[in-house]
Amino acid sequence: MPLDTSTYNLALLRIDGRRWNELRQLRGQIRTQAAADGSSYLEMGNTKIMCVVTGPSEEGKRRNQGASSASAAGSGSSTSASATNAADILVSVVVGGFSTVDRKKRARSDKRIQELQATLAKSLAAVLHTHLFPRSTISLSLHILSQDGSLLACMINAATLALVDAGVPMTDYLVACSAGSTSSHSAADERADPLIDLNNQEEQELPFLTVGTLGASDKVVVLVCESRVQVSRLEGMMVAAADGCVNIRAYLDSVVREKGHRMVAEGAVEKGASMAMDIDV
Amino acid sequence: MPITILQPALVPVHSTRDESYGSESDSDGGVDLEGDISMRPAKRARRTGDDSIVTPGEQRQEPATAHTQRRTPPAIISSVAGTLSKTNKLLSVRPLRARYTPEIGDLVVGRIVEVQAKRWRVDVGASLLAQLPLSAINLPGGIQRRRTETDELQIRTFFSEGDLLVAEVQQLYSDGGAVLHTRSLRFGKLRNGVFMAVSGTGGGGGVVRAKRQTFVLDVGRAAGGGGAAADDAEKIDVVLGVNGYIWVSKHVEGEGAAAEGTGPGITRIEESVGLNVYSSQNDAIPPGTMREIARVRGVINALVEHGLRVDEEMVITGYHEAVEMARADGDGEETLYLGGERGKRLADTLVGR
Amino acid sequence: MPREAEPSLNERAFVVQALQEGLRVDGRAFDQYRQLELKFGEQYGVADVTLGKTRILVKVSAEVTTPYTDRPFDGIFTITTELSPMASPAFEVNRPTETEVLLSRLLEKTVRRSNALDTESLCLVAGQKCWSIRVDLHVLSHDGNLIDVSCFAVVAALRHFRKPDTSIEGGHLTVYTPAEREPVPLSWLHSPFCVTFSFYGEGEITILDANLLEEQLRVSSCTISLNRHGEICQIAKLGGTPVEAATLLQCASVALNKVKEFSTLLDQKLAEDAKRRNKGGLLAELSAENER
Repeated sequence: MPLDTSTYNLALLRIDGRRWNELRQLRGQIRTQAAADGSSYLEMGNTKIMCVVTGPSEEGKRRNQGASSASAAGSGSSTSASATNAADILVSVVVGGFSTVDRKKRARSDKRIQELQATLAKSLAAVLHTHLFPRSTISLSLHILSQDGSLLACMINAATLALVDAGVPMTDYLVACSAGSTSSHSAADERADPLIDLNNQEEQELPFLTVGTLGASDKVVVLVCESRVQVSRLEGMMVAAADGCVNIRAYLDSVVREKGHRMVAEGAVEKGASMAMDIDV
Repeated sequence: MPITILQPALVPVHSTRDESYGSESDSDGGVDLEGDISMRPAKRARRTGDDSIVTPGEQRQEPATAHTQRRTPPAIISSVAGTLSKTNKLLSVRPLRARYTPEIGDLVVGRIVEVQAKRWRVDVGASLLAQLPLSAINLPGGIQRRRTETDELQIRTFFSEGDLLVAEVQQLYSDGGAVLHTRSLRFGKLRNGVFMAVSGTGGGGGVVRAKRQTFVLDVGRAAGGGGAAADDAEKIDVVLGVNGYIWVSKHVEGEGAAAEGTGPGITRIEESVGLNVYSSQNDAIPPGTMREIARVRGVINALVEHGLRVDEEMVITGYHEAVEMARADGDGEETLYLGGERGKRLADTLVGR
Repeated sequence: MPREAEPSLNERAFVVQALQEGLRVDGRAFDQYRQLELKFGEQYGVADVTLGKTRILVKVSAEVTTPYTDRPFDGIFTITTELSPMASPAFEVNRPTETEVLLSRLLEKTVRRSNALDTESLCLVAGQKCWSIRVDLHVLSHDGNLIDVSCFAVVAALRHFRKPDTSIEGGHLTVYTPAEREPVPLSWLHSPFCVTFSFYGEGEITILDANLLEEQLRVSSCTISLNRHGEICQIAKLGGTPVEAATLLQCASVALNKVKEFSTLLDQKLAEDAKRRNKGGLLAELSAENER
C-alpha cells in the first residue's frame, strides 16, 4: 500500500499527524531492574526497548567459558578493542517474537541482528571511557519488545540511558535519530522535505537513514543508510536527524536528572556541593 | 536546497513528572523550547538549590581536573551522572550509581570464583576480581606456621568455589584490582546465615562507609519474651561489606566476624584458629534465630527498595521498628513480610515522614 | 580463536604519526587506490580481482528452481561469502567472524536490496519455475579493503555472467545449452560500488583504500555505496570515533567520483572481454535475443 504522499504535500502533515520535525512520544525510565548494574526502558512511539547492563566486571574462568559458548551461538558480539588495556563491550540483542505484527521466528544467528550488535558495541566503545576498566567486560542485553520503525536509533538511546544508570563514564550521551526524505530515490524534485523519527509505515515507503551523534554536537558516531536515495538528499536528512538528536538528548538528560533529584530527595545520595554560582559564569 | 529549521517541537515529557528538570544544553544550544515556560522558574530554583545533578557531557568552566571528569581543554566535562563535590580546586562527580571501587582498608564480603595454584580469585562486586593469596590467610594450627606445598595442594580445603568470606582490602594494583587478606579473627569463612547483595558505596543507596561495618544485633531483648525460641536466639551478627554484599548470621561467641575489638589476645589465636574456621558445616540454628535473621534481611531489603542508606543505625532502628510493626499489626510476631505497603511504612517511619 | 597479529605499539605510533604528517607508509596519496586489476575467466560469470595484495575470486552460477511461496513472481538471488583460512589465519571454516558477517550484510544491502539485479526478470513460470542466481565469493588473499574489492568483483562477475536462454511453449519450458542458443545476460539495472573511508586521529584524517595494517590502526571507517547516477545505495558508519558531519558529506562526493572511475573501468573491461570472445563478429548472428 503506497503511502499517500500527496496528503503530505497538501497539509504538510504526516500519516500520524506529525510535522516533519516532530518526534514521536518519548517515554523513558532508568533503574527498572533492581538486580542489574544499570537498566533502562525506552519508548519512542511504538518502538519499545528494554536494556540491561552488567559490569564492568571481570569474568572468572568458568563464567568465561559460558560466555564464549554463548558467543559461538551468535548471541554475543564483542568489540575488537584489544582486550588487555580496555574493557570489552559485549552486546546481545533479543528480538521478541511478539514485537512485530506477524509473529516471526528469528534465527539466533540472523546476520541483521549480528550487524546491529556489532554496530552498538563499536559505537559505545567510542563513547565510553573503557580504558578505565582494563581486563573487564561491560555486557549489555537489549530486549526489543515492540518494533515500529527507528529501531537502531531507539536501541542506541536505550543503551545510553542504561549505561548512564550503571555509572560507566562516557564522553557525552550517545543519541540517535532517524530521518527520511519524502522524495523517492529517482525523483529529483527539489521540493522534497526531510522527515525525522520515522515509524514503520514511513520506513517501508521512504528512503531513510539513522544518525547517531555525540550529545548535541554534530559529531557523527553512527551513520547507517539502507535505502536508495539521491546523494543530494543526504545533507538535508543528516541535518534534520542531528536536530532530532538534540531534542532526544534533552529528553534523556531530563530522565536522568529527574531520577537524580528523587534520589537526592530520598537521601540515598549525598547532596552535591553548592554550585549555584559556578554554572552561569 | 537550503534547509530551513523550523521551530523544533517540544519534547514530550512524561506526565508523572512533577519535579524540576532542565538541561544545560538547551540554554546554549540555540534551541528555544516554547511552551516550556512552566519549567523555567523551576529550573532557576533548581540551580540555586543544593541538590544539583550533573550529567555526562555537561560542561564545567573550572580550571581543575578530577579522575571522574575528562579534560578536553579548555572545558571540563562531566563523564558520569551524579552530584558534584568540590575539594579546594578539585572537582569531582559522585556518581548516582556505580560499581564498587575498592580502597585499602575496606571490609568486604566476597565469593570465591576461581581457585588457582597459590591464590583465590574473589568476586567483590568490583570491575575486577580481587585476589586472595594463600599467604594472606590464617592457616589452621597457628599463625606462625610455615606455608608448605601441602597447603598449596590442599588449597580447596580452606576455600573452594562458591564459598563466602569476609576480608579486608590490603593492597591495590594500578588497574584497580584489589588484594585481600583475612589475617584477623574478624575475617574468614562465613557460615550460619544468609547472603544478600545490595549496591555498594559506588553510590545510590545501599551500604555506606561507616565507623563499624560489622555489629551484633541483640534480638533476644528486642523480641523480648517472644516464646521460648527467643531465649537461646539472642544475638545476630551482621556484616555490611563496603562493597554492598551483606552477611546476616547467627552470633558465635569468640569467633566470627563480630568479635571485633573484643577479640581474644594473641595467645588465644592459636587455639581459636582451629578446625571450625574453615568448616563448611553449619551449626545447629534454632528456628527463632532463623526467623530473626530473615527479619533483618527483610529490613535491609526494605531499606534498599526505598533508596535509604544501609548502616548500623538504620538496620538496628529498622529492626526494632519492624518488630514493633509486627506486634502492632496483630498478626503476631511471626509476621516477617516487609514488602509492599509494610516496607513503605517502615521506610517512612525511619526517615520520620 | 586465532586472531590477527596485532601491530606493535611502535608500529602504531609510526604509522599514525606519518599519517598526521600527510604520508602513508606505502607512499600513496590519501585518496589513491592501489592498482586495481580485473580478469574475467574463460567461463561467463567468473571475475578475479586484485587490489594490491588483496585478491578475490567471484563465480556466478544459475539453476532453475521453484520460487519462494511468498514471492511467486521473483527469482532467487543469493550472495555467499567465504573467508577461508587461506586469506588469513584469523578466519576459520564454518565459523563466521564479525568481518565476514559485516561483509556479507554490506554486499546484501549494496547489490541485492538496491535492486541492481531485476529479480522479476528471473521468473520463468509464476509460482513454479524461476532462475536461482548464486554468487560465490572467495577471498584468496587479504591485505585490507575487502569490502570495496568484493563489491567490485561481485558486480563485475554479475555483469559478465550469461544465463542459458529459455523458451516457453504451451506451458513447456525449454532450457537451451550454449551450443543451441547463445546465453543471455542478466537484466541489470544499475551498478553500485562501495568506497570505504578510514579515519585516523580524532576523525580529521581520511584515507581511501586502507591496507591491512592501516585497517587495524584506524579509529573508525565509513563505507558508502553509490552508483554513477549519484544514488546512494547504502551508507555504513557502524560506530567508531565520532566524525564531523561535514567530513562525511565531503566523503560522499569523493565517493561519487571514485564510483564513476570504477564504472568506466568496468565498462571498458567488459567491452574488451566481449571483443575477445566475439571473434569475427559472429555473435550478433548467433544471438537469439530480439530487440525489444
